[in-house]
Amino acid sequence: MVNVQGPWSPLLGRLSLGAIPDNPIIAGAFIFSVLLGILVLVYLTYADRWGYLWREWLTTVDHKKIGVMYIIIGLVMLFRGFIDALMMRTQQVLADGAHSPGFLGAAHGYLVPYHFDQVYSAHGTIMILFAATPILVGLMNVVVPLQIGARDMAFPYLNALGLWLTAVGAALVMLSLFLGDFSHAGWVGLTPLTELAYSPGVGTDYWMWAIQISSVGTTLGAANLIATIVKMRAPGMSWGRLPIFTWTALSTNIIALTSFPVLGVALGLLGLDRYFGTHFFTAGLGGNLMLYSDLFWIWGHPEVYFVILPAFGMMSEIIPTFSEKPLFGYVTMVAASFAIAGVSWSVWLHHFFTMGASPRVNTFFSVATMVVGIPTGVKVFNWAFTVYRGRSRFDTPMMWAIGALFMLLVGGLTGMMLAMPPVNYSVHNSVFVVAHFHTMLMVVVYGILGAVSYWFPKVFGFRLNEALGKRFFWSFTIGTIVVFIPMYTSGFMGMTRRLDYLTNPALMPFEIAEEIGIGFYLVSIYYFVRQLYVSLRDRNANRVGADAWGSARTLEWLAPSPVPFYNFAVTPRVHARDELVWRRGQGLEGAAPPRYEDIPMPRNTSVPLAIGALALGLGFGLVWRIWWLTDVSFIAIILTVIARSFVRDTDYVVKAGEVEGIEKRLRQRAAEAARAATSASGIDALRPRESNP
Amino acid sequence: MWARQYSSIAHRIGRLVRSTAFLPLLFLSGCSAHSLSRQFLIFRPAGPLSATDLRFTIFDVAVMLGIIIPTAIVTTFFLIRYRKANSTAAYDPTWSHSNLIELVVWAVPLITVALLAYYAYRGTYAVDPFHPRLLKTAQSAPGGTPAPPLRVDVITTDWQWLFIYPRQHIATANELVIPRGATVDFHMTSATVVNDFFIPNLAGMIDIMPGMRTKQVLVADQLGTYKGYSANFSGGGFSWMGFKTHVVGLKHFQDWVQSVQHSPVHMDYAQFNTFAKPTKNIQGKTFEFSDVKGRLFDQVIEGVLKGRVYTTQLPPPGSA
Repeated sequence: MVNVQGPWSPLLGRLSLGAIPDNPIIAGAFIFSVLLGILVLVYLTYADRWGYLWREWLTTVDHKKIGVMYIIIGLVMLFRGFIDALMMRTQQVLADGAHSPGFLGAAHGYLVPYHFDQVYSAHGTIMILFAATPILVGLMNVVVPLQIGARDMAFPYLNALGLWLTAVGAALVMLSLFLGDFSHAGWVGLTPLTELAYSPGVGTDYWMWAIQISSVGTTLGAANLIATIVKMRAPGMSWGRLPIFTWTALSTNIIALTSFPVLGVALGLLGLDRYFGTHFFTAGLGGNLMLYSDLFWIWGHPEVYFVILPAFGMMSEIIPTFSEKPLFGYVTMVAASFAIAGVSWSVWLHHFFTMGASPRVNTFFSVATMVVGIPTGVKVFNWAFTVYRGRSRFDTPMMWAIGALFMLLVGGLTGMMLAMPPVNYSVHNSVFVVAHFHTMLMVVVYGILGAVSYWFPKVFGFRLNEALGKRFFWSFTIGTIVVFIPMYTSGFMGMTRRLDYLTNPALMPFEIAEEIGIGFYLVSIYYFVRQLYVSLRDRNANRVGADAWGSARTLEWLAPSPVPFYNFAVTPRVHARDELVWRRGQGLEGAAPPRYEDIPMPRNTSVPLAIGALALGLGFGLVWRIWWLTDVSFIAIILTVIARSFVRDTDYVVKAGEVEGIEKRLRQRAAEAARAATSASGIDALRPRESNP
Repeated sequence: MWARQYSSIAHRIGRLVRSTAFLPLLFLSGCSAHSLSRQFLIFRPAGPLSATDLRFTIFDVAVMLGIIIPTAIVTTFFLIRYRKANSTAAYDPTWSHSNLIELVVWAVPLITVALLAYYAYRGTYAVDPFHPRLLKTAQSAPGGTPAPPLRVDVITTDWQWLFIYPRQHIATANELVIPRGATVDFHMTSATVVNDFFIPNLAGMIDIMPGMRTKQVLVADQLGTYKGYSANFSGGGFSWMGFKTHVVGLKHFQDWVQSVQHSPVHMDYAQFNTFAKPTKNIQGKTFEFSDVKGRLFDQVIEGVLKGRVYTTQLPPPGSA
């Protein structure tokens, strides 16, 4: 065990009153969080919702609810990450030039360098690992079992455990805001800056354990999704009939299952350095700091495709639905997804082309990186040909999908630039790169937002408000353009990344433009929240039947909306790639099954939540070096896992009669909703559209 | 009275808004369109290395735009032409496969990538920081009197630059002086964490790592002063970790070397350890040192390999 700077006590470790930051911004955030927390607690108590919360959400193993909780965690963290972005943009616009003013103890701007560095590190960590990843895992959780006609995931208990471990990671990141500090060494953890000598505080430990714990959750989730897709498909759902989103989910989870352990090893070795004084990644005494870069990006680059492949899958579901036509080149699309997944393993070194590797090495990785462009380009062309001779409708999900397609074009252009070392050398660590990967992540964000509005009615039974959705889309898109075009531009002016103070006053107009752009994002958040509120308020006018869009194609739209907890009353038999279209053609849409059967379902359990709580104790103890807490939590986790393995009573049976009753009620409600929707808006939202070309 | 006071406040706010509204324009006009274009350092190469980088950038963008612009136009056209509201457009609700189109959509990116990959190979060797093929061929070209090659050892600390001229036994901090036309051979290492050597007008980025040595070879064609940066985040003083690069005539350079050789401040390993204490160079100070020991660069690497760190103290609690 190494000695650390500052005081330490057996009871509280490094924790003391001094760990509470005295910055007014953090104090404001703290008060805001506490008030919000009190509000939620008061509501829960006043409305007597504690039992409901416990039974229906906290102890659930239902894949849809777990998915929704993943998405809620992701959206909350997305907001936190956005606030970080707002703070960074504001700092840079204020701190430009030697005469720029300083506030709150900073020489320039309002954030001292050490604080700014934590803000950008938190932004990256949160956006990738606690916003994009949970939302995508959540969407896969919701959609994949429905698309393949399963009742739940292969391992429902494991699924809940994955969720709560992710939540623990997010909680640790949020905790670091109010107690201690966060890492200042970037979301990638630049070695040897993350070593104890250069980061003696608890910030790096927060970063390290938050990622470590949540990535255990993601790995478990990946194993679960793969098992689900391989083993739980409905009869008739051959590989050739698997919906394209499920294909991308399969490829992406193969990436996750194989790459997240590498991250675990990299962070584990860093942990040994920081806690036991070993020298894996130090500069001296036999350490090799570039080994960390290698290990990190061997995970990090596959992770990039882990987030983008499901987004491609979402686009491949949305575009055919709103073009009222099958996806062009299904086989090619599947092949392209797996090609991207395969190549993702051989491109990691392009994240440090400037390390000084020989031109032979750099050429290999340059060409490998460019090869990714081939399947990606194929995908873009195939989407375009899906629209060709279709009948495009520009509902909100379609707008997001089109936006994602155009983001992909821009990201592809700049990606091909960066893949070429001579180009890369001149912009490698500049804001041009920042703009590039944000463009690519915008593909993910657009895909996610499209998918959320696309599958929302499936989960909740009513559609999101269309007019506000459009406003959300346009304000978000204007924000994206106004932020990132100036950012690309300032990259060519030689502006490097991660600057809390800009020496060059000529950057000012671009900084102002980016600040205006971030204002548009703020407006877009307002519209999003308002959209959720208005849609919830008017939900009875916007109820939908099984097929929420009138032109949906895949199996999930066969189940009633909202989907009952058992998904399908009778496991459907699959006849075609676009099953719903096939049934529509046969006139079978909405037909009731001949008879109902008993359904075995997994029982709720509080064990995953308990393990999550213990993991939070473990993480917190490790960060602050409170050894009694880590020991107790760790032993308790092991004992809980062992104890749970003896529990035999994990399932129960829903009787056929009960299923019939629920289905009858759902059918009645759907019919009423359909009538209400038709009379309210006068649109033929529920009439099949392809039968009369 | 209230109304008058209100109007006077409103007037003042209005004046403030008006005065700031033109701020962006002021910055633009203050430096004019011409000098703004000079700010695009990447587009203003002052040496063969950065000129080559730019050439490849333009080529790459041109090829990619050749694909991306038609794709964007065709996609937009499809979306508009085959919109639901347009009842005159064809509708083919089952069409989803065509061997010919499949062939084309795989062939187009494949050929593009093959072309770009070949140029990536050429470019990587041309500007390889250790042995740029480009300079080898340039040197063998006849004409002109090339200045003798110059060796500069670069050491980064938290958060300063030390440039050692080992054959001249001098060193400078946060300021680099090189003669025009000379092949400058940089050997680089860091005393603490990873930095990145970047002079946008002259050469692309190359990492500077503790306990290791990286290289960059460059030639400057044009006289002038160019901005240099550390491009890789290295901690609290990173934003101020810039340096000026003066490209001067050969005669001027020799005079300058002589003047620095008379500097009263010396530099050896003990002196370096004082210099390397964490320093935020907010004022942009530069220093000159004479009588520099030739082994200093190797000593710093050896020191780091033996576990020497220039420790950062824990920031005061709550300073976050």
